[in-house]
Amino acid sequence: MTKPADFPPPFRTADYVAAPSDPPEERIDVGVLIVGAGPAGLACAIRLGQLLEDAPEIRERLGEVPVAILEKGKQAGSHLLSGAVVNPRALRRLFKGRKRLDEMPFYGPVEHESVYFLTQKSALRIPAPPTMRNEGNYVASLSRLGRWLAEQADEAGAMLLPETAAEKLLVADGRARGVRTGDKGRGRDGQPLGNFEPGSDLVAKVTVLAEGTQGHLTGVALDRFGLAGENPQVWALGVKEVWKVKRPLDRVIHTMGWPLRPGAKYREFGGSFIYPMGDDMLTLGMVVGLDYRDVELSVHDLLQELKTHPLVRKLLEGGERVAWGAKTIPEGGFLALPKQLHAPGLLIVGDGAGLVNVPALKGIHYAIESGRLAAEAAFASLQRGQTPATPGALAGYDEALRQSFVWKDLQEVRNMRPAFGRGFFLGGALAGAMTATKGRFPRRDLQLECDSDADLIRTERAKSYPSPDGKLTFDKLSSVFASGNKTRDEQANHIVLEREVPQDLALLWERMCPAQVYEATETGVDVTPSNCVQCGAITAKGGRLTPPEGGSGPEYKLT
Amino acid sequence: MSTLVFLEHHGDELLKGSLGVLAKAATLGGGDVAGVVVGSGVRTLADGAGKFGAAKVYVADDAQLEAPLPQPRVDVIARLVRDTGIDTILFGNSVLTADVAAGLAARLDAGINWDLVDLVQEDGKLVGKRPALQDSVYVDVGWTSEPRIALFRSGSFDPNETGGSAEVEDVAVELEDFSSAARMVDQAHEESEGPSIEDAPVIVAGGRGLGGPENFTLVEELAKALGGAVGATRAVVDAGWYPYATQVGQTGKTVAPKLYIACGISGAIQHKVGMQSSGVIVAINKDTNAPIFEFSDLGVVGDVHEVVPKLTELVKQRKSS
Repeated sequence: MTKPADFPPPFRTADYVAAPSDPPEERIDVGVLIVGAGPAGLACAIRLGQLLEDAPEIRERLGEVPVAILEKGKQAGSHLLSGAVVNPRALRRLFKGRKRLDEMPFYGPVEHESVYFLTQKSALRIPAPPTMRNEGNYVASLSRLGRWLAEQADEAGAMLLPETAAEKLLVADGRARGVRTGDKGRGRDGQPLGNFEPGSDLVAKVTVLAEGTQGHLTGVALDRFGLAGENPQVWALGVKEVWKVKRPLDRVIHTMGWPLRPGAKYREFGGSFIYPMGDDMLTLGMVVGLDYRDVELSVHDLLQELKTHPLVRKLLEGGERVAWGAKTIPEGGFLALPKQLHAPGLLIVGDGAGLVNVPALKGIHYAIESGRLAAEAAFASLQRGQTPATPGALAGYDEALRQSFVWKDLQEVRNMRPAFGRGFFLGGALAGAMTATKGRFPRRDLQLECDSDADLIRTERAKSYPSPDGKLTFDKLSSVFASGNKTRDEQANHIVLEREVPQDLALLWERMCPAQVYEATETGVDVTPSNCVQCGAITAKGGRLTPPEGGSGPEYKLT
Repeated sequence: MSTLVFLEHHGDELLKGSLGVLAKAATLGGGDVAGVVVGSGVRTLADGAGKFGAAKVYVADDAQLEAPLPQPRVDVIARLVRDTGIDTILFGNSVLTADVAAGLAARLDAGINWDLVDLVQEDGKLVGKRPALQDSVYVDVGWTSEPRIALFRSGSFDPNETGGSAEVEDVAVELEDFSSAARMVDQAHEESEGPSIEDAPVIVAGGRGLGGPENFTLVEELAKALGGAVGATRAVVDAGWYPYATQVGQTGKTVAPKLYIACGISGAIQHKVGMQSSGVIVAINKDTNAPIFEFSDLGVVGDVHEVVPKLTELVKQRKSS
């Protein structure tokens, strides 16, 4: 039987690690360099700004640019996508005495919630599992929240560098020294075009990797510094849409069951969410674990199928789709965490570190909290007499994280995700026992298996996907359009993968990709990289996503 | 309201795009509409603008304005606006005008709305229509101060002739020192046969349904017979069947010919947004469910390899008889 792991991508960590090479007058020196303007990176920048406000002598020592944030998207938020129901705990703490929750761009608190078990025609309301209860939480568009956080970071004195990809990790003498940004203006075969601009070395005292799910340099750093933990990381793929609707939705809805199949052999773990966004919009999405096996499974098309269910169709009636996007979610949780989240001169935060609570469907507050704690550790290491690049100088971050609510939460639910590898019903029962014992059951931790190690099977699943009508259901290219993606077509390919593969694997990629990047051919697979919305699914299933030219990809605004 | 439309020219012709904006401005009513032509040896171009609704055409004719560089044009227009009290300045988008409009906004400290597709008077106020969220909705935008600057998406308006003639007035040319800092080194244009796809009245475009690059000759022959240009979809450009310069769509060119014939094109939205404002759209495709049929005026369900040569033959016969 074919499995993706048998056809590894020709990717070498060494190609993405370099020593600083720009002459001193050309390189850019910054104090703390944060890679990624998401909730973790921006929280880190905001907290650093707060700390430096009261420490002018340290600010001075950090030079002209004390804090810089690299962002590969057009602007902060362009590549942010989540459900999202946000636990406000970490935001409250970050902005204590400075901003109130009602000043933040939320769509309001969760007032009612329902969980349904779906079959093709019916919906059975079930009690919400304790981990999924959302009282006191707020609905948000993460893209919008990200834009707001970026404004706060700017006010706090951080410099945002958008449209800039972090391509290589700069390492010298075994210490992280910053990153090298990607070139711009190369053609399909890598040749420089008329608008060619080479990347440059951004040299920093502390580098914070806040790249989010499937972080490119995070993967490189885990490998380079030997930080990987015992279990591999595993992911889910989420695809979502934002709709303008006629009638307001008065609650958050989660569904389990259909259109996924419960049988253990399919390994289809996931469900859907439907959240209100004010009076005239809602968002809905489908999330499926990438350990699934069926080459015909397509999360994009499962979401289209879900919309034909009477429960969902009714909510969307007379409405109009206004946005679409896709992204992976790290699902390994506690068991898949790296051994440590720091190396000399380096910190790893947020989704990139794997700080996501799958049973609670939450990670944004962990991202913010980890960013805040990273800022405090970085700041401590910059005190007079300290050097962040000394081994162990940043260990305070790991210690603080272990003491935080993030660690306690993740530890309690650590075995739930692997339990669902045994099918929906058994998994559900085991998860119940884990909740009741606050994580003391089972005594021996379960193991995670790489998503790319799942043997492929092929059913005729695709036959039941609805044909797109352009109103309720859509084809993938229309979806890519709705993501705002208008990537330059003649860019060099940023997706590293084996091109000559068996038909099964080529088809798996073709169906899996929500943005129609892959096409199975007679000899393997063709790639259309400009469609890519950088969801990262390919990295989970046997390829490797690297960042394309800065400014490419989707331009999310409402996701 | 006193409106000025920047009239861009190439060689000895005013561009259709600027004339479209002029024709639109003339329909808004409520005041004078003037045009401005800036260049070297451009005085003769001014007369033509009256037909499209300009009551007056300002001409800045000076050897220093020969090269199509933005800053000297900003100098001329900024001065004109200050001297005449013009309150609204409109541009049809191009590589040059995008720079001129942006420079002018900075120079005059004026508000600019860009990527507009329409402009209307609502309750005595000017309101621009700007597509957002990938053109799925239109946003109303306005100005809170004067002068107002607007940049329109290309192909937004037809250059309708209304007759009439314009009074031509020369304006003095005085350039700022910094405006001569840039100079044009070279100007080149891609050589191609027949009309370019931006200006062609007829476009025959080919997609993956052609089956292979060799079949583009079918498209070329039909285009030749109709006196039109050849277009292509992203998929076939990506596959290397046809050059990028002919790509129509979101990441290629936006075109609006009188007649658009789509051969073997499925009609993905990325293609549609580049050609949907065409006058008449004819689709030839063997897949009855292809989305292109939803926005075609005439659809032919059939094999492009059979239909297109027959069509070419018929056009040739008709032309020779």
